[in-house]
Amino acid sequence: MKNLYQPQSVKIEKIEALSPSVRLLRLKKRLNFVPGQFVLAGLWGYGEAPFGPASSPYQKQYFDLIIRKGGTISSAFHSLKKGDEITIRGPYGNGFPLDFFKGKDVVMVSGGCGIPPIASLIEYFIKNRKNFGRLYLAYGAITPDDILIKNRVSRWQKFGVEVILTVDNPTPGWRGHTGFVTELMGEIKVNPLDAVAVMCGPGPMAAAMEKKLKPLGFTDRRIFVSEERKMQCGIGKCQHCATGEKYVCLDGPVFNYDEIDKNWD
Amino acid sequence: MILVLEKSNIPKLLEILSRKYSVINYQKNEIALSPKGYLLPPKEKLFSYSFKRKKIIDSPKLKKKLLLFGLDLIDIEAVDQLDEIMTKPKEDYFYLRKRKNTIIIGVAEHSISVPIAAGDLILEKINENEYRAISLTENGEKIVKNKFFKKEKNPEILTYPEEKNGLRGLVKDSELLAEAVAWSWSKNHPIWDRLEKICLGCGICTYVCPLCYCFSAEDELELDGSAGHRCRYWDACTLNNFSKIAGGKNFRPSLKNRYYNWFYHKFVRAYKEYGKSQCVGCGRCQKYCPAEIDIEKVLLEIIKDYKNEKSLSASIS
Repeated sequence: MKNLYQPQSVKIEKIEALSPSVRLLRLKKRLNFVPGQFVLAGLWGYGEAPFGPASSPYQKQYFDLIIRKGGTISSAFHSLKKGDEITIRGPYGNGFPLDFFKGKDVVMVSGGCGIPPIASLIEYFIKNRKNFGRLYLAYGAITPDDILIKNRVSRWQKFGVEVILTVDNPTPGWRGHTGFVTELMGEIKVNPLDAVAVMCGPGPMAAAMEKKLKPLGFTDRRIFVSEERKMQCGIGKCQHCATGEKYVCLDGPVFNYDEIDKNWD
Repeated sequence: MILVLEKSNIPKLLEILSRKYSVINYQKNEIALSPKGYLLPPKEKLFSYSFKRKKIIDSPKLKKKLLLFGLDLIDIEAVDQLDEIMTKPKEDYFYLRKRKNTIIIGVAEHSISVPIAAGDLILEKINENEYRAISLTENGEKIVKNKFFKKEKNPEILTYPEEKNGLRGLVKDSELLAEAVAWSWSKNHPIWDRLEKICLGCGICTYVCPLCYCFSAEDELELDGSAGHRCRYWDACTLNNFSKIAGGKNFRPSLKNRYYNWFYHKFVRAYKEYGKSQCVGCGRCQKYCPAEIDIEKVLLEIIKDYKNEKSLSASIS
């Protein structure tokens, strides 16, 4: 009998500060995953929490986790240095339906710390660029400092991903947009009948985006949301991630909009 | 020939069995801890990590086999359901490891009318002094080889009816319960506001339930810092922090949400997942609820209103 709770040790190869409160940990291990899946990363003495890998699924040498200082475990991760070890198990969950996206335009919408699975998805698109139509990323952050993808934007643009940035609180010299990501829809030119929308970010963002996307002609089945919940087991037992009749860890974390929008909780 | 055990021999049998197994006797005293407590303990160490050796320390081998003696058929049914939950769709290693190391001897103080779900050996009352032994597994076969089990040609066989249990009858119609409970929330049934006011949110109902299995994980450190332990312990979906994530967002902020979720899981989601209610009608939750919430009465009220509305809408159309 395989022990699905068994963690593995992985070494931190590199640490990068992406914003005052967010760090990227590069972990020395090949992880076979589909963008949108997640791992349970832990530190002995502190526990485990779920994170979506942000690196390319084709990357054989390492994978990246992006961690915002928030709870006990993420704060503990912020105290680590290069060469330290953390534990990993997974990947878990379904990931994005990459085959369904094939041949279509993709509108990606993300806010704040919702970027990791989207970043991984973009790396997949870039590697298979000719299989996809127009690619857009609308990304919102509180201030320009909180934009976690500053050093990726130009590379993504070069490979034909239209990146549109917006912030709530601009600073002098900010050249992007101001306001919510929902207000960026005017910038996006896609044929909704041949496009999908992919969202990962705060709950209210997804709800507000849905109200913008539906009138454009995006149907429920073409809107994909990556959900966040508390998770302890990753294998559908502990009940923390249950929403309606679904488990985010097993049935998700990527859902069609109509799979979850009518859930009572 | 019928294999029979005399009632007066039970203590002697248990004494012999306790040489080989660690025996928990459910007949002897009132144990609040349901069999779940031995298979999914209130708290257990999953992994231990040595900081000095920088590796996971092998967990100690399980000691003597555990023998749960005297479970009634309701608890046995609960163990059977828990086995299914912990096996499908993915296997819970720690539960199944304990389960494989456990022998269950059930005692039915009534005549058995339905097939038995699980267990290794069942003792069925046939008269005031004797039980019929029904062994269901190899482990059960081994135990009935004991000298206290005797073959009898014509023992007196009397019929003892099962004690009436309303809740148990209720949970058999899992389809109706799934519909009625989901309906009650969608129609904003006043019972959920009422229960929110009464419920203390203490979680005791989930702890005593033989089928509530939700848990949380937490790490612990040895005081000298030499080792860390990844532990899991019982959680309760009625407690405030159950769905709270880092950053403070709580997906079920009100007690009403959380209390309904307890019902929703047992009667709606469980029905969709496994085709039955995750309630066997043991009655522990009503017995131990400090607010005296009677889940049987709650279900009856919901079902009554659900049926009324259904027949009303049927008569209109």
